Amino acid sequence: MDHTFDMHVSTNELKTKIIESLRLQEVTPEQIEDDAPLFGTGLGLDSIDALELVVMLEKHYGIVIKDIEEGRPALRSVRTLAEFIEAKQTAK
Amino acid sequence: MAKVVVAAAGIVTEADLSTAKMGSRFGRMDLLSQLALLAVERLGINFEKMDRSRIGVCLAVSAGSLPTDIEYWKGRKEIGGPSPTLFAYTLPSSAIGEIAIRYRLTGPNLCFVGTDATLLPEARDLIERKEVDGCVCVACDVITTAASELIRVQPKAQVRAVFLVRGTNGVALEEKHRDMESVCALVCAGESARNCAR
Repeated sequence: MDHTFDMHVSTNELKTKIIESLRLQEVTPEQIEDDAPLFGTGLGLDSIDALELVVMLEKHYGIVIKDIEEGRPALRSVRTLAEFIEAKQTAK
Repeated sequence: MAKVVVAAAGIVTEADLSTAKMGSRFGRMDLLSQLALLAVERLGINFEKMDRSRIGVCLAVSAGSLPTDIEYWKGRKEIGGPSPTLFAYTLPSSAIGEIAIRYRLTGPNLCFVGTDATLLPEARDLIERKEVDGCVCVACDVITTAASELIRVQPKAQVRAVFLVRGTNGVALEEKHRDMESVCALVCAGESARNCAR
């Protein structure tokens, strides 16, 4: 299967993908702050959501995280995740 | 001795989901858990006034978790693999967990796969043995098209819920009331309809 990925990742686009992949209801991209923590407080995601986000990264951006320790800093906020995706895509 | 009564009963179908306001995490549940949770919500029971360590949850699932198992299995062909969230629902008893978490019910629970014929008698026993003060009973008939092709029964998405408690405020649960369908029909008919959630 051939996939091409956009190098630039906007936080708004990422928020939409997070909402879709986690099937968040009654949440809009505008309600998610770029720097708010994704886990615990903020969006209040949990460990299963973390795995779902890892799958989302592979599905939509072609990024495979094999070690969760590598992904942990990236999953802090929408902004850190967008930066992580851009860095990974630039390194390809 | 006070009798075991049906304090509330109700039925939900897939059509009810479109108007459900159950919070941001409701969407990640599988169809069975969504319907089970919505059916309990519609009962309108205020669990906060009860000792929640003495409220049980009994569940009957006609096809187990088969619809979700199939969906999960199909996901293996997708990039990134099947949904980790969905994996959590490949257990027939997952809906019990969702109900217990939402209403913070920490009493005993039971899960029956197949017929719901033992659901009410077992829940009633829990109350009569004084292991619990009340019991949430949920019977799930959730069979997706994919599952129906496999087990050759009609697709269905209907969940019945009742709340049993020792007392007088409700419809007395008698020996002859062994299945959820007839109990819900009884409660939702005539003078008992005030206990019916629709």
